[in-house]
Order: sequence, then structure tokens, then C-alpha cells
Amino acid sequence: MSNANADAQSTLRNLSYRQGLAVGTVGVFVLVGLLGVIFPGSIANDLFRIITSRSTLSSALRLSVPIVFAALGGIFAEKSGVINIGLEGLLIISAFTGVLVTDLVGASSSVFFVPAVWVGFLAGILASTLFSLLFAIVCIEFRADQIIAGLAVWLIALGLAPFAANVKYGSPNSDNLGSAGTFDQWTIPVLSDIPVLGAVFDATPVVYLMLLAVPLTWFVLNHTSFGKWIQASGENPKALDTVGVNVNRVRYAGVLLSGVLSGVGGAALSLSLGQFIGNGQTMVNGKGFIAIVAFLFGNYNPIGAFGASFLFAGLEAVQLRLQQVPGYAIPDTLIQTVPYVTVIVVLALVGKTKIPKAAGEHYESGDD
Amino acid sequence: MDRRTFIKGTGIVGITGLAGCTGGPQDGSGDGGDGGSEETTMSGGDESMNESTTESSGEGSASADINVGVVYALGGLGDKSFNDAAQTGVKQAEEELGITYNEAQPSSAEEFPQFQRQFAQGDEYDLVCCIGFAQQSALKNTAPNFPDQKFMLVDSTVEQDNVANYLFKEEQGSFQVGHLAGLLTSQEFAAGGGETSPDQKTIGFVGGVDAPLIRKFQAGYEAGAAHADEEVEVLTAYTGSFSDPQAGKEAALSMYDQGADIVYHAAGASGVGVFQAAQEKGGFAIGVDSDQSKAEPDYADIILASMVKRVDTAVFESIQNVANDEFEGGSTVTLGLEQEGVACVYGAEIGSDIPSGVKSEVDASAEAIIGGDISVPTSTQ
Repeated sequence: MSNANADAQSTLRNLSYRQGLAVGTVGVFVLVGLLGVIFPGSIANDLFRIITSRSTLSSALRLSVPIVFAALGGIFAEKSGVINIGLEGLLIISAFTGVLVTDLVGASSSVFFVPAVWVGFLAGILASTLFSLLFAIVCIEFRADQIIAGLAVWLIALGLAPFAANVKYGSPNSDNLGSAGTFDQWTIPVLSDIPVLGAVFDATPVVYLMLLAVPLTWFVLNHTSFGKWIQASGENPKALDTVGVNVNRVRYAGVLLSGVLSGVGGAALSLSLGQFIGNGQTMVNGKGFIAIVAFLFGNYNPIGAFGASFLFAGLEAVQLRLQQVPGYAIPDTLIQTVPYVTVIVVLALVGKTKIPKAAGEHYESGDD
Repeated sequence: MDRRTFIKGTGIVGITGLAGCTGGPQDGSGDGGDGGSEETTMSGGDESMNESTTESSGEGSASADINVGVVYALGGLGDKSFNDAAQTGVKQAEEELGITYNEAQPSSAEEFPQFQRQFAQGDEYDLVCCIGFAQQSALKNTAPNFPDQKFMLVDSTVEQDNVANYLFKEEQGSFQVGHLAGLLTSQEFAAGGGETSPDQKTIGFVGGVDAPLIRKFQAGYEAGAAHADEEVEVLTAYTGSFSDPQAGKEAALSMYDQGADIVYHAAGASGVGVFQAAQEKGGFAIGVDSDQSKAEPDYADIILASMVKRVDTAVFESIQNVANDEFEGGSTVTLGLEQEGVACVYGAEIGSDIPSGVKSEVDASAEAIIGGDISVPTSTQ
């Protein structure tokens, strides 16, 4: 008996951080499922019904799009050694530019056979990339403190986007572009008929884009020389410099990629709704910060970051549905703290999140 | 190293500057536009220190001697419902009474007292309009400090001699649209971009922030639906924000997925997501505060009706009272169905397709509410 116990303990200890998280998550689901089957009519039963519904899955996928893209961008920047806490600002800028340009082009018209929505989408990405270039120059060229510069990116975007909306639309919210200003649903025949999981094949193009971007990012980071440079630039820039790669150039690439990816996320968010809401915290509403939490939680692994984002978005989707079941109204404000509580628990108790060694530090090549 | 400290210093000063001046009251006098708003946002750090003394341009003051300051609710102008309705009232006063006005769109609750005080100090404004229940606690502190300043408050009450309060019986209007939704979900009905499934008697409600005021909408709606048919199931969800259309859309989508035919929203700018969900799923939606089938023409094919709340009337009346020297400080005016402060207004495009039998039943329940035969609850259990 004690032998088996010791065995189990050593297996537990041997599980890696990631495996531990995965096992834990699956365990919780199985537990909820079992309780749901055993006690029909209980909260576990309702939870189980909600979690396994197709509607919840497609909702969670849609909600995770901006978070996942911003998290992937954050991974690139931070792995290369530049801490980008301005992801929220990049999301805001691209969300606004996406709607603005779509509106300027004319929501139902097209440019060179490219529908206006996609023109706006590209413009949103471009705006966010330019904004991240500014951030990169300030951080890398002028060696500003990365945290302060990142905060500035957020605050500038938070002021600039509603201000620009005010100039154009006379209010911090843009006009509504109607259904012409949003992405259409792409339904893949046959596959979309699969129960529950079919939701993955009946979604907007940005969801597919997200599902492509995650493995692609993972591949680039782990299996290309560019990915190795990015990692080396954050872990040991001296070594990278020694083999003759320009560290600053790699860091520029990392930050610009974070701009591109956040741009995709922000434009996807606003163009899925055809409107930019600039009041208060804007329609982005902290998604950029949740993205930071997500990639920390996922330990800088794109797959892990996707898992964490999906978990947070899934909680939101479940929460919206659980409210509709009479009896247990879980306050949404409580649910919204879950990501932050999770990251504190993970950082404090598990403590395995490995921050790149040289992140936040400037690198000065001995050459000049 | 010097350069680094310099940039760090500039960064900090710049951020403080930006944070310090996230918007002063906006100059909307004259044409009512606000193109010149928030110029202060772009100004440098040191200017922000004396930014609190916001200028109000004196232009147009020759033609009118009534000057009004408006502090809007969170959600801002362009929400196509609550705040826009308030602005309609101000603009009406501008046209008919020749007043001038300045407006402020706070972006967080902490800015309410700031804007109220800015308008109140300096004796420049004859009336400060505070729009929305969330301003009540701020006004409670501001009003006693400026005893000579006249205030008006919409959707809540502050018992001070210089505050005129305007309340609405939202539950009555919501009862009306709930009655309509309950009647329609039980029968076969198709119009514009939506249709009902008579076999499932389910309707939905999406609220913004979970507050007693929004609960009033929900309570009236549920009572109205039950009045139509006891078996009607009402799904309810709150998005937690008046400016999160994504959450509004997801909440409504989940309701349509569960078989809801009609979803009513009281969620400000988040409500646009509800309309979108209705269009995507071929269901119906009910708008709030102003006639949203006109304010959001893109969604006119699924907006059955709107629970119109005449915030514009309240704002206009209060300004008119000040202009006529009839300001009634300390009073509370409650506008219900009887005073036409709230009403169920049918959609501009598909409203005419609603069977006349249904409409006459809804009219009958309105009569019954005014006559006191039906009492509508103001809170949910």
C-alpha cells in the first residue's frame, strides 16, 4: 500500500508542468461529467450539459480569437527579449482602424475584388504593426524602459482611438456597418455535421485563421532557425551576437510580429461585430491583459497559450449560459477575475513559468 | 545612460499628462457637434495641471441666456439608445428655446463627480443635467456643495432642494414588450428576417450591468410574458458591461440556440450584438430606450418593437422649466405609461406585420396597468 503510494507520488513528481496542467484540466472535466451523470438535476449536470453543447464550443472559439492572437504576439516579443505589455493598446488600435477603413471603403463595396471587410482587416493589421514599430524603436533604439513604453502604448491607444472616432463619428463609438461589414460564416460541408465538434467547422474565417496560426507559431518558434534566434535573443543575446546574428534586428522582428498578430486579433474582434465601441475601456475591455496572463500560464508555449486562452474564453461562454439556468446566478464580475486569480495561483504555487533570462534588458553589442 | 534617464523621465511625464487629461467636458455649443472635443488629450504634461478649469466658449451666448451642461451616462453618445435619447432632448431645447449647451462623456464612474463639479463651479451653467442612475452617489456629494446650482437627475433621486429628479416606470414599458413577446412566441409568426417556432415558448432578456434599475426591466418583461402565457420561459443573462457587444452577441446567440424566438435587451451599446445574433439566427429582437428600428436601420428587419423611454422629454422639460423660471428643485417626476414616459413602439419595418389581435391585447394590458388592474413588479425575486 505504502509502496503504491510512493510510486504514485514519484510519477506525479515526474510529470512536467504542462502535463500536470493538462491532466488537471481533464480531471476536472471528468469529475464534472461523472457528478453530472450521477446526480441529474444538480449543478454539475447543468454544467456538463452546457460544456458539452455545440453552441458553447463555437462561442468559446469566437471569444478566444482576440486573446489567442495577442498572446501569440506577446510570445514572439517576450521570447526575443522585449516585454510588450502594450498588447491591449495594439488590439484597440487595430480594432478601430479595421472598422474605420471598412467604413471608408464602403462596407458592401470592394477594392480589386477584395471585399471591404478584408481591406479593413489588413488596414487594422498595418496600423497595429506601425504602432508596434514605434514601440520597438523607443525600446530598442532609444532604450526606454519597456514596461513604461508598453504602458504608454496602451494609454495612447486608449485615448487616440476614441478621439479619432469622435472626430469621424461624433462619438467614441463608431457607426454600425451592418452585416455587410462583418465576416461571413464559412461552413465546411460534411465535417460541420459532426455533433458538438462540428462547431469547429462552422465558423467565421478568423476562427480558422486562429486554428492555423497556433501550430504555425509553434513550428516557427521550435523548428526554424528564425525561431531559434528569437529564443536565443531572449535567453542569451551574447551568444547570438557571437555567432554573427544582429540581436537588435531579431528583437525588431519579434516586436513587429507581436504587432502583426495583435492586429489580426483586434481587427477580427471589431469586424466580427461591424462596430467599434470606444467608451470606457473600449470593446477590447482587458483582452490584451488576459492574453499576457494566457501566455504566462501557457509557459511561452503557443499551444499552451492557446489552451489557456481557450479556457478563459470558455469560462466566459459557460458563465453567460449558466446565468440562464434558473437557480444559480454566478456574478459575472467574479468570473472575470478568474484569469488573474489563476495566474497568481500558477505563479505562486507551481512557479514553473520560465521567463526568458534577458527579457526586459537592453543588449548592447560590443561592436560599436 | 543620460539618454536613458531622459527618455524614462519624458515617458513618465507624458503618461501622467495623458492620464491627467482623459477628456474635459466637451464643447458642443452652437451646432451640437463635438468635433473639437478632447483636444486636451493631446496636450503636454504640464498643461494638464490647470486643465480642470475647462473653458466654455462664449459663442452664441448673445442669442440665449440659458446655458446647460450635460453629463452623459457610461456607454457614451452613439449608443443609439439611452444617451442619444438624452441628446435629442437637449437638441430639441436648443432649437426651440435657443439654449446653448456643453456635454461631457465620462469614461468611468470616477469621472462623474469631476464633470459635475466642473460644470457646477463658476456659475456658467443654469442647469446641469446628470443622465443615468450611476451618477446618483456622485451627485449626492456634489449638489450640497453648490446650493445655487440647479441640477436634474435622470433614473434616480437625490433629495436636495436644487435637484429635480426624473424617474421612469421602466417595468411598465417592459411589461408591454414582454406581453407582446409572450403572445408572439406562442403562435406562428414570420416577418422580415425572422420567424417564431410555436412549439417552444421561450424568449430571452439580455441586460447590461446587473443593477436594480436593469432588474426593473427584467421584472416587467417577465411579468408581461407570464401575463400572456404562464408557460413562457424567459432566459436571462447579464453581459456585465454596457459597451461589450461581443458579450451581448454571445449571450443572445446562446438564447436563440436554446429555442428563444424573441430577445429583449437593456444593455446599451452591448445590445447591438443582440440584434446581430437575431439576424444571424433568424429570430426577433426588441430594442430599448429609443425606437431602435429607426436608430439602427440595418437591423430594422428583426426589430419587432422598442421599449421607448422618453429621456428626451424629461431632459427637455427640465430645461424648459429652467427657461420659464419654473424649476422645481427637490421634486421627483415619475413618468409611466399614463404620462407616455414609457411605451411599446412597434418596429418601423416589421411592426405592421404584427397581427392586430396581438396589438389589441397589448393595448388592453396597457389600459389595465394605467387603470391599476395590473400591478407590475419592480424587482425580481
